[in-house]
Amino acid sequence: MEVLKYSYLDEKIDEVKEQGFLNYRTSELPTWCPGCGYFGITHAMVQACDALGLKNEEICVASGIGCAGRYPIFMKAYGFHTVHGRSIPIASGIKLARQDLTVFAVGGDGDILGIGGGHLPHIARKNIDITLFLFDNSIYGLTKGQTSPTTPLSQVTNSHSQGNPDTPLRPVFLALAHGASFVARCYAGDVEGMKNIFTQAISHKGFSFLHIVSPCVTFDKVNITWKRLRENFRAVPSVHDPSDYRAAIQMAEDPRPIFGLFYHDPSRQSYQENLRGKRSPENSKSSER
Amino acid sequence: MTNVDIVIEICGSAGEGTISAGEILSRFMSSQGFEIMSFDSYPSEIRGFGKCVAHSRISNRKILSPGKYADILIALKDAHSISQLPSLRETGIVIYDNKPPNYLEEDKSIAGWIEPGMISYGVPLLELAQKAAGNSRGRNMVAIGALAALFQIDDEAMKASIRSRYAKKKQIVIDSNLNSFQEGFEWSKKNITKIDPYTFRNVRLKKSNKSRAIINGNQAVAQAALDSGLHLYAGYPITPATKIMEILSKELPKKGGIMIQTEDEIAAIGNVVGAGFAGKRAMTATSGPGFSLMTELANLAVMAEVPAVIINSQRGGPSTGVPTKTEQSDLNIALSGGSGDSPRIVIAPTTVEECYLGVSLALYLAEKYQTLVVVLLDFFLSNSIRNIPMPEPINKKWLKGNIAPTKTELKDYKRFKNTESGISPRAIPGTPGGMFVTTGLEHSEQGKPQYDRETHHQMTRKRFRKIQNAINEAPKPQWRGPKKDISVGVIAWGSTAGSAQEAVIKAQKEGIKAALMSSMLISPLPADSFRKFSKACQKILVPELNYSGQFANYLAPYLNRPIERLNMVTGLPMSAEDILDKIREMAN
Repeated sequence: MEVLKYSYLDEKIDEVKEQGFLNYRTSELPTWCPGCGYFGITHAMVQACDALGLKNEEICVASGIGCAGRYPIFMKAYGFHTVHGRSIPIASGIKLARQDLTVFAVGGDGDILGIGGGHLPHIARKNIDITLFLFDNSIYGLTKGQTSPTTPLSQVTNSHSQGNPDTPLRPVFLALAHGASFVARCYAGDVEGMKNIFTQAISHKGFSFLHIVSPCVTFDKVNITWKRLRENFRAVPSVHDPSDYRAAIQMAEDPRPIFGLFYHDPSRQSYQENLRGKRSPENSKSSER
Repeated sequence: MTNVDIVIEICGSAGEGTISAGEILSRFMSSQGFEIMSFDSYPSEIRGFGKCVAHSRISNRKILSPGKYADILIALKDAHSISQLPSLRETGIVIYDNKPPNYLEEDKSIAGWIEPGMISYGVPLLELAQKAAGNSRGRNMVAIGALAALFQIDDEAMKASIRSRYAKKKQIVIDSNLNSFQEGFEWSKKNITKIDPYTFRNVRLKKSNKSRAIINGNQAVAQAALDSGLHLYAGYPITPATKIMEILSKELPKKGGIMIQTEDEIAAIGNVVGAGFAGKRAMTATSGPGFSLMTELANLAVMAEVPAVIINSQRGGPSTGVPTKTEQSDLNIALSGGSGDSPRIVIAPTTVEECYLGVSLALYLAEKYQTLVVVLLDFFLSNSIRNIPMPEPINKKWLKGNIAPTKTELKDYKRFKNTESGISPRAIPGTPGGMFVTTGLEHSEQGKPQYDRETHHQMTRKRFRKIQNAINEAPKPQWRGPKKDISVGVIAWGSTAGSAQEAVIKAQKEGIKAALMSSMLISPLPADSFRKFSKACQKILVPELNYSGQFANYLAPYLNRPIERLNMVTGLPMSAEDILDKIREMAN
């Protein structure tokens, strides 16, 4: 897990410019800081789309505002850079209109858990077939280093010089509690791991929640850094059964992050299947809860 | 043969069958060939003894407004009906319970409050209901029976109407209602000596009226959406728009569409904008508080050039305001709500028929002009029940609005090409070679974020310019009355236009040279028509149901002259009488 490998675009800017773009990338160069974990996420997304053989014009990406929000500008697909916190309802609208499209919602921790936090329970319970990429760097980066809903307690930020007084949210725990049918946590430094999970998430018929932990190299030099993430990285045990909801909840309660697929309920009906009246609660594990 | 133009009000508590009695009466009158305009007012609470009034104007001639004063008041609940007496005509008729339950103190009975000049007919409503069905529930039907006896209404036909109203209920319910009606009818026939001149007998009626659709504004909105290719309705319940969602939840899936109830109004407009981006027709309906929440994403539709339709049925504001009363005070937010310079199309239907036309037009214009279209209804229009001729079929041209890029245009595709009309060909997701990114940031012709002053200036101009042509696609503004030497010219918008028209007709009969101008399209404003009208008028009056004169303020810079205003925020529709008084005052 060599970090620099994933920010290679920065090192090879001229070369990439000459090439134009790579498969699912536009010629626009990301505006992220050198060393940002989002480069790795982008690379994994491109690889996952490639592995699934998705047609560019059949992919729609809706994003919110923030560093992550810029994502659609760098992807060769139909992109909608919306307003702060609303990538989920916009992506849902696209999918409800067009079942034939593959729809991604992209947002940061402020976007998805702060201003747009009210949408998360409902997309999870409705189970609309979109994939949510939560780029979590635990800070407001684009506004230059204010506390976000996942900033660790007591961390000093530009909005809390005496340390963050708020207990951070636990995104995976929340997604499981809200009844999401596909929940995983990824590490932005592990492109191969992300690619595998992204591929499964995109293929999942229903709402997929991807909590992607990434350092912010500019505004957090203390807590969530490449070094600490690398040192503390723990994978979901290979014996874990992703259909075991209670085991998934237990792992999500662990204060030290575990990375991998937490929960997957392929039997759960998507929103549109439910609309068509094909409800079969006996097949759905989530309805037992 | 006689002419009839009567306003009947039934007043009672929530849950007493007040509104259903009104509904039976309206449907019956419509089936007989009368024209009707009905409007119920009720409290925000479902039960809890709040005051309900079922108001129906019944006429054999064209009805333009609900009528300010009632001719007949049926008092189902004395305490509420006493407070309703001021809206009864000075020579009006009260039908009341002359043997009210003994716990009612004497001064609480309406009998002691009826003014000299009014006619009162006492009917033992409670006693007869108990006799008919063993309980007090049938008082409303006893009263309807009394009404039928007193005003020579065909009782057999009316019973058929009652039967059909309760057709889906158990036999015992149908029987209790019919028996109660019969008791009221027979008792009144035998015991009351009629001393008023009103009758429904021997009225000249048009046979064609009988086949009319009975429909309110909300139903017209839903029907228009269904007939105009709506794919997605996303909404959150709010009075007075909820009915639109309820109808579409039932009817839209039958046409392959989807109704989604969202977690809030923000998600609702988010879904609509998403579906619009994906190339399908989508809309939401709300009222002031919900519209306030929607403004940010509504702005996104303007900036990112995505079709979106919002129906806003206005109620009293600000904030939660007066949820079950009518007002026209969301014009400002409809015209410019949100941040920045954000041009959009605003349509305000003036009648139930125009609710149908307006929504169909809105869905077309949103798609063609790639922007936000707001349709302003109000509580009155949403709930005003009319029997109207079946709406004209949708203009076929309106069913397809999007202008797709040609193959040549796709070669070097500029999604936001700054064309002469301002409209840029729009590729729908799934189109190979058409990929673009759209953003709420200011952007270049390719859609990439770009903030230099030239881009922002040119793109703002483009967004304003592109909607101007909507003026040529919407129905022309209506000019009613003389074309020159007008002494008082009334300019009305939304549901106030009907009352204004009636006032203008009455003023003309009094010898005042009055005329009316109204336009369904509010933004962009067909300013030339308004200027032409203004030039022909000595004085201009703008009546509207808001305190600050929002439409008058909007018109002022276009007309560049003094404007008389008539503003009311009583929660009731403005009456023709109110406007007529003002016209008389101005004509002197």
